Amino acid sequence: MSANLGQPVEVGSIGKELKKIWEADEAATNASLMNFAIYSEQAGALEENSEAIFALTREHACRAILVEMQRDAPKSQIEAWVTAHCHLAHGRKTVCCEQLSFRLKGKAIGRMRNTLFSNLNSDLPLVFWWQGELSDLFEERLYRLTSRFIVDSAEWSDVPAGFARLRDAVEDSRCQMAVQDLAWTRTYHFRLGIAGLFDDPLAQEMLEKVNSVKIAGQPGHWTSAWLTLAWLATQAGWAFVSRDETRFVFAAKDGREIVVEWETEESYAPLSLVSLTDGKTTVEVSRKAADSHLSLELHAPHHSLSQVAPADPDGKVELVAEQLSRGGKNSLFRKIWPAFFDVLGIDGEQDC
Amino acid sequence: MSNPFRDDLVARLRADACTVVIFGATGDLNHRKLIPALYNLAVDGELPPGVRIVGFARRDWSNEFFRESLEKINKEVSRSGHDPEVWAKFAESIEYHCSEFTDQEGYKGLAERLDAIDSERGGKGNRLFYVASAPEFFDDILESLKGAGLNEAKEGGWSRVIVEKPFGTDLATAQHLNEVVNATFQEKDTYRIDHYLGKETAQNIMVLRFANAIFEPLWNSSYVDHVQITCAEHFGMEGGRGGYYDKSGALRDMVQNHLLQLLSLVAMEPPTDLSADGVRDEKVKVFRSMRQWDTPEKVAENVVRGQYVKGYINGEEVPGYREEDRVNPESETEAYVAVKVMLDTWRWSGVPFYVRMGKRLPKKATEISIHFKDVPGVLFNAVPGGVPGANVLVIRIQPDEGISLRMNSKLPGAAVRMEPVKMDFHYSSSFGKSSPEAYERLLLDAMAGDATLFARRDEVEEAWRFVDHIERAWHESDNKPPMTEFTAGSWGPKEADEMLGREGREWRRL
Repeated sequence: MSANLGQPVEVGSIGKELKKIWEADEAATNASLMNFAIYSEQAGALEENSEAIFALTREHACRAILVEMQRDAPKSQIEAWVTAHCHLAHGRKTVCCEQLSFRLKGKAIGRMRNTLFSNLNSDLPLVFWWQGELSDLFEERLYRLTSRFIVDSAEWSDVPAGFARLRDAVEDSRCQMAVQDLAWTRTYHFRLGIAGLFDDPLAQEMLEKVNSVKIAGQPGHWTSAWLTLAWLATQAGWAFVSRDETRFVFAAKDGREIVVEWETEESYAPLSLVSLTDGKTTVEVSRKAADSHLSLELHAPHHSLSQVAPADPDGKVELVAEQLSRGGKNSLFRKIWPAFFDVLGIDGEQDC
Repeated sequence: MSNPFRDDLVARLRADACTVVIFGATGDLNHRKLIPALYNLAVDGELPPGVRIVGFARRDWSNEFFRESLEKINKEVSRSGHDPEVWAKFAESIEYHCSEFTDQEGYKGLAERLDAIDSERGGKGNRLFYVASAPEFFDDILESLKGAGLNEAKEGGWSRVIVEKPFGTDLATAQHLNEVVNATFQEKDTYRIDHYLGKETAQNIMVLRFANAIFEPLWNSSYVDHVQITCAEHFGMEGGRGGYYDKSGALRDMVQNHLLQLLSLVAMEPPTDLSADGVRDEKVKVFRSMRQWDTPEKVAENVVRGQYVKGYINGEEVPGYREEDRVNPESETEAYVAVKVMLDTWRWSGVPFYVRMGKRLPKKATEISIHFKDVPGVLFNAVPGGVPGANVLVIRIQPDEGISLRMNSKLPGAAVRMEPVKMDFHYSSSFGKSSPEAYERLLLDAMAGDATLFARRDEVEEAWRFVDHIERAWHESDNKPPMTEFTAGSWGPKEADEMLGREGREWRRL
């Protein structure tokens, strides 16, 4: 059916077919550091995700398990393919990663989970990239066995509901599941840039007097902007007061009011500006659309600083690759949830 | 005041904005290692905003010429490639300061320039001095820095020095250099760089040992028969390196620093914490426990030195050591050395550590192998061939970084026959992303004030104490242990094989 999914196979003989692949090419090295599952309910997602796996396995060796669910199909059916993606590692040897692809049609409950669990490489962590809205298949028996769960909240139609489900899932998993949101990953270099500029004593002085913040980005990436705002508030100790269409108000510990103006525009970069000022000193990180670099600026009376820094990638696959490179439990993301939930207007209480 | 936005952002100490002053800035080390490392940190967004770089050297170069010269090499060697846009911004932070290393006026001018930079940047006046010049200028540079008051930290800031190897040529010169350094900078502000410690695989030794429950219980004389540390190089004295090498030799050039540092990581006790002194306190105990080969007889018994004679490397004929460019035809400098190191500690009592380093060996490889003891021979005595060999855990430092474990397995079939098999982890297969260069990590650590991966004074001096006895026996005694020979392209002199053979062991075949 599709060349890049590899060999069509019977579901019951996947292990045998994989073995044949490795026996056919003894020069190749089979490498895997994790089970990497991608789930989508979008028609045609398998082919696209196979391309994504080809790119990801250049740096992240894994057993890839792709699942496409077509829930509206009248009859239950399952199709499977196996293949291996091979790369020349460091110009020396061929390293290959297995890919198992499944297209499930019809009845969904239980089948997706079983398909996934029966094909995991034992002992290796399960990283699960859920594409699109969280459906009813995102349930406890799935996420209890998931080490890392990757979503992109920019794809969600109901962001508060999505985060409420994630919050509950993390609690159900006894806080073992690390959640990674690509909307948060998109802000990494912005945050690094801001942190770097605030190493300057003048910027630190300004932070104690800051009264105005500007954040701008594309409308479709508003969660990235709000997550950045939640990070600023959490780290600086600001409490959420109110919000309207284009403004947020926070209160500092000394009672000072901080007004945040939020602007969106289609022609902007996903996150295009974060600027903090007290009227005299300004710290600003900005990015022009499609630019591969951020501009870091500090302007104070008699002193200024200007530097470039790498920008976060725009592509989802590149973002996932970055996220996988950093590893860890993403504890900072969880730390900012209460502030983010405040601005979203959902309950921020967490048991862990 | 503090920076709350740094909290939890990256899992490492924060590198401070500073001015990096590089002495010997027109040299190869700066062009090929230091500037590309700083550039790559900038590309990765790791370089703190406000870092400025001042190159200090004797040649009469302009800022523009200096930047162009650096850019030309960076294009060739940068790990992440060369982005003209990033370079242009990065290059704005680089400037050149022309002065003789001995000219105090030059240092006064430097001090004024650094003050001006601090004033422009509005920072705390953090300065990182990198002494990358030829070693004969170390004293002059350090004393002149002191003369200009540049060794003193500005209020709220810091002043640190990175010293490149060699840290002396023997114990006396190392002690002298350390005294000069410590008369100028406090020990906590002194960073003696050993780039081997910045290698990912060297850092992984501690993780392997202390983050895996299965190894540490076996990591002692009850289970380990011996340890081998090998650094093999296939090249000889190409590129004019014979001039330097012939004055140094394998023992001083590689063993005293890099290989004994690796040995200390393998042999040390678990540190109480991961602080710089926590780790270095344990490493220095290893150096102190090294049994001293303090007579020519002990050296002859436990150390083998050698020179290669004409042979073949990769099918090409290569000259012998004494025929190499810039090497004294009557040279008594070793191009190969094998040393048996005994550690008089509870953990390692009776376990030899064999350390060898050689030029013109068949291939380039640095690795550590832990050879475990044989199993009791009672069960498989009757099996044809018996148990084929003991378990060996290999930590490959470079190239093809990774870890492998050799164990025995039954051959398929009705009979009980065994063959050794290997479980092999390759960094390059599992982690496609290339590791940062050692200098990137080490420069960032120095900016962050983290000295864990730098050698402390006592480590350096203890390592020299061990090496000095051997050098004295070779060059000053009446009963000099012989210089052996081996054919270029072979695995070293037969005397080195015999040293292990006397104890029923053999070198691991790489």
